[in-house]
Amino acid sequence: MSDFIDKLKETFVVDDRWQYLLRGLGNTLIITLCAAVLGILLGFIVAMIRSTHDKTGKLKIANIFCRIYLTVIRGTPMVVQLLIMYFVIFATLSSKYKIVVAILSFGINSGAYVAEIVRSGIMSIDNGQFEAGASLGLSYRRTMLFIILPQAFKNVLPALANEVIVLLKETSVAGYIGMEDLTKGGDIIRANTYQAFMPLLAVAAIYLIMVIILTALVGKLERRLAKNDRR
Amino acid sequence: MTDAKKNAAPKVNIDALDCMIKVSDLHKSFGDLHILKGINTEVKQGEKVVIIGPSGSGKSTFLRCLNLLERPTSGSIYLDGVDLLKLNEKGVCYMRQSMGMVFQHFNLFPHLTIRRNITLAPVKLGLMTEEKANEKADDLLEKVGLYDKCDAYPSQLSGGQKQRIAIARALAMNPEVMLFDEPTSALDPEMVGEVLNLMKQLAEDGMTMIVVTHEMGFAKEVASRVMFMDDGQILEEAPPQEFFSNPKNDRTKLFLSKVLI
Repeated sequence: MSDFIDKLKETFVVDDRWQYLLRGLGNTLIITLCAAVLGILLGFIVAMIRSTHDKTGKLKIANIFCRIYLTVIRGTPMVVQLLIMYFVIFATLSSKYKIVVAILSFGINSGAYVAEIVRSGIMSIDNGQFEAGASLGLSYRRTMLFIILPQAFKNVLPALANEVIVLLKETSVAGYIGMEDLTKGGDIIRANTYQAFMPLLAVAAIYLIMVIILTALVGKLERRLAKNDRR
Repeated sequence: MTDAKKNAAPKVNIDALDCMIKVSDLHKSFGDLHILKGINTEVKQGEKVVIIGPSGSGKSTFLRCLNLLERPTSGSIYLDGVDLLKLNEKGVCYMRQSMGMVFQHFNLFPHLTIRRNITLAPVKLGLMTEEKANEKADDLLEKVGLYDKCDAYPSQLSGGQKQRIAIARALAMNPEVMLFDEPTSALDPEMVGEVLNLMKQLAEDGMTMIVVTHEMGFAKEVASRVMFMDDGQILEEAPPQEFFSNPKNDRTKLFLSKVLI
């Protein structure tokens, strides 16, 4: 027992090592939050372009660009994208902007998945809804904004939340470009103390708690949105 | 017509002004499938035209061409002397504001309350203030007898109630003409009556109506003209007394002999 407490002390208390985890957690949260916002924004724009093209045949060229984006991003590993972003595209950038590069990479990656989620949500809305909007004199854009998107958003909310959870866990590869995120923080402790069990388990537990909280929040939101369509 | 409508469609054809809607040589194909094969007809203000015919005859397609939910392959449609096929996108939106449409499957907006279903379009299009639109919605709900449902959601309504709300939603735009695409076909038999009664009331108020339906009773009672379509063409048009008692076309006779009136 005292052995266990010694290990605990050595891992977290000696040299204030817990700060590695705290700082790492901070970075992980910043990257996840900003990348999620960027990804959802990007995803909605791409989904709009793609579904407008599918429904009306317009925006041909924009649609081609979107398809290339989706194919490339979904066809290559996240880590490789991160490395290319940091060591090729932003090679000349000062390393203190690392976090911006990480946010950009994760956001652009997540956007591709969000785009397909949202698009499937839009395409799943009955065509009659588009027609009803049009028959009232609403333009395509207004119909989309006031009639289709609110319904589509509700339908894809669980999938969207899932994507954010995946994103949160995915940011653990940020260490590849030297970002001190939560995983990297635990890893630094492991390297310093030659103890793997404590720091890595702590890291896993922190991820797990965050995911559980996120899942609970989404459940709450879903129930609130579901209020108006008891069937 | 509002100023906005005039701006969107400046060219008015005087020859086409003697009637509200004038359709000439309208064709519509879906790929190789030739659905409408040259439709020519006119609808005057206040007329109630009922279109009947076997399924697949192009009735619904014709109706949906009138407000350009389907884009005709060729031909022309004039509304108040304006050629609809020459309108730009904005012009099409303005045109649709004056043509209400009621669908077979209601197509209410499930995420909005009944009142918001009715007020959404007038408010978002800037035709009415929120307050004014709510007043109008309450009047319309009173008219269709569903005022107590104003804060309910569509999923809480029966089919007949949904269709009455759909009619109220279309009326909120103050349309010049109402298009009905088989409004009672998806309803339980019990609920057909309430919708038809509302439509009769509308007809008595002088609304111009074009109705695709299988309700022969409604056609007999309300129509000022019955139109029989088959194979993408109008085979016969006549006032209901004449149409039902003395049909001229053989295909019409066959059709009428098979339907229960």
